[in-house]
Amino acid sequence: MKRSHQETSVEEVHSMGKKLEDDNNMDEFLSALGYKVRSSDMADVAQKLEQLEVVLSNDDVLGSNALNDTVHYNPSDLSSWAETMLSELNYYPPSLDLDPTRICNLTPFSDDNECSSTTSDNSSKRIRLGPWCDSSESTRPVVMLGVDSQETGVRLVQALVACAEAVHQENLILADALVKRVGPLAASQAGAMGKVATYFAEALARRIYRIRPSSPAVDPSFEEILQMHFYESCPYLKFAHFTANQAILEAVATARGVHVIDLGINQGMQWPALMQALALRPGGSPSFRLTGVGGPSEGDGIQQLGWKLAQLAQAIGVEFEFKGLTVERLTDLEPEMFETRPESETLVVNSVFELHPLLARPGSIEKLLATVKAVKPSVVTVVEQEANHNGVVFLERFNEALHYYSSLFDSLEDGVIIPSQDRVMSEVYLGRQILNVVAAEGTDRIERHETLDQWRKRLGSAGFDPVSLGSDAFKQASLLLALSGGGDGYRVEENDGSLMLAWQTKPLIAASAWKVSDVTAEWRR
Amino acid sequence: MKRSASNSVTNGDASNKKMKKTTEEDSEIGFANLDENLLYEVLKHVDARTLATSSCVSKIWHRTAQDERLWELICTRHWANIGCSQHQLRFVVLALGGFKQLHSLYLWPLSSPNQHGRLGKDELKLSLSLLSIRYYEKMNFTKRLP
Repeated sequence: MKRSHQETSVEEVHSMGKKLEDDNNMDEFLSALGYKVRSSDMADVAQKLEQLEVVLSNDDVLGSNALNDTVHYNPSDLSSWAETMLSELNYYPPSLDLDPTRICNLTPFSDDNECSSTTSDNSSKRIRLGPWCDSSESTRPVVMLGVDSQETGVRLVQALVACAEAVHQENLILADALVKRVGPLAASQAGAMGKVATYFAEALARRIYRIRPSSPAVDPSFEEILQMHFYESCPYLKFAHFTANQAILEAVATARGVHVIDLGINQGMQWPALMQALALRPGGSPSFRLTGVGGPSEGDGIQQLGWKLAQLAQAIGVEFEFKGLTVERLTDLEPEMFETRPESETLVVNSVFELHPLLARPGSIEKLLATVKAVKPSVVTVVEQEANHNGVVFLERFNEALHYYSSLFDSLEDGVIIPSQDRVMSEVYLGRQILNVVAAEGTDRIERHETLDQWRKRLGSAGFDPVSLGSDAFKQASLLLALSGGGDGYRVEENDGSLMLAWQTKPLIAASAWKVSDVTAEWRR
Repeated sequence: MKRSASNSVTNGDASNKKMKKTTEEDSEIGFANLDENLLYEVLKHVDARTLATSSCVSKIWHRTAQDERLWELICTRHWANIGCSQHQLRFVVLALGGFKQLHSLYLWPLSSPNQHGRLGKDELKLSLSLLSIRYYEKMNFTKRLP
């Protein structure tokens, strides 16, 4: 009896500053093995055990008597046991620099993170720091206490799904408890799985505590920087651009004037390659007019972009005209704004990841497609994420997203040649999408991805017919992937005339081309 | 064609070395001081790897081997015509950074896995696209983080 009092007092000393209810946060998995470790202490204990391992293997301690004389109280409390061992062996760890801001100076993002849970629970803090911690700890092996890392991966997924189920059933108390468990579990999992899990755990936490980040919560130029890094580090965006360009080139093969309307101009990365291809067209280059649509936040940036493209066009001898259109929403676009010249120009409309945000407001997509149809384009190129993240049932959406982003993060992990800053930023870029899919609702939830089949139905009912992408597009895409590293993971797949980019057989991006249905032909049938 | 070219280079090598030994005082004749025009003519026939290695021999060789026209030959030798005129291609590629850059950055990595180093239409088109993107990115891209 007396000993148990002594044990609890030892524990209380160690838990100074922590709430009493933390006693309930003993890790379930370890207690099954007979150890008592607080969930919030997990990484700390692992670190100590690692140091212990180093010390025991380096010094000739086994010969010394120091260990034999050590008295251990309550060895199932691993944290204090490890502490005792280390101090007995006179081992003092070097101070570790786990400063997350060392990775990059991004104050906007940390503002985003400040609206985290109101409870000062250590494990939710870990969720917040999760993405950064993983990057700095990625080179340090984490000691798993005799549990297989694959197994913990499976457990991690199960924990996430269990939490999502609880959220789905609106059992927020259970969900809260579960999400606190997932946090440290995710932080201790190495590799892509851990990173994805950390983002999903944070998203679930936000959903539970009803923290709604208003979109866009962050400076849009920061968003552009993130997208640039994503562009550099993996082939998804390049695949989108190159495939769309190929479809455009085929449609304007004999045109003397080309007018492209880009529904999301961003950094204009798609157009240098198209202009170059036009410049090298047999028989000479057509004139090229680009109308770039952007949001109000991009403002001056669009004009600068136009200047840069104009310079490039001049260097390679392409007659070029640029117009920037700034609208709050794509539904604000009207056909007259484009000032089309049907007698002298072949019109093309291009959309790379610009259609799915419109699904947040009913009627928007129909309005935009009607506007597009009204300008009578020769071809409409559409690239979208190949996933259904717009389901009505939260749990289904969650599972789909978990599967999808796990694949994406996986593909980033494999590319060993990616500079680490590019990769970290790409992960942040994708992480923001995850947060939106899981935590946001209503008009805030803009990452409403739908599959190619779903888009086919929408475009079909809006009066568009599919145009098959030729084998040239397939070959270009295959070569691009060959250059992009990632070994054999990337695959181009043909899907009924459209192309998909897949990672390990899971399609992630779909590119397709469309033309306005010929109504008179329909009547004749 | 290639084999005889490399043979003639090695033969020239052997005979020039002999000449170097016998006429050391006369620095006019010597393989290292081979006339630039003659060197240029010889290098017109070599493959990419040889051309690249040649630029490491000496200053004169370096200058000659860097010549855009030689690299244009390398880039366009094996490909089926992509449709445009030679003049058109030259104009665009030189504006975007040159044939040597086109080859070393994109064509070479694309052809390495392939034994014969065949550079087809598709490889050339992709490389041109990537070259244009690179040119664009380098145009005072202030938003990119250093």
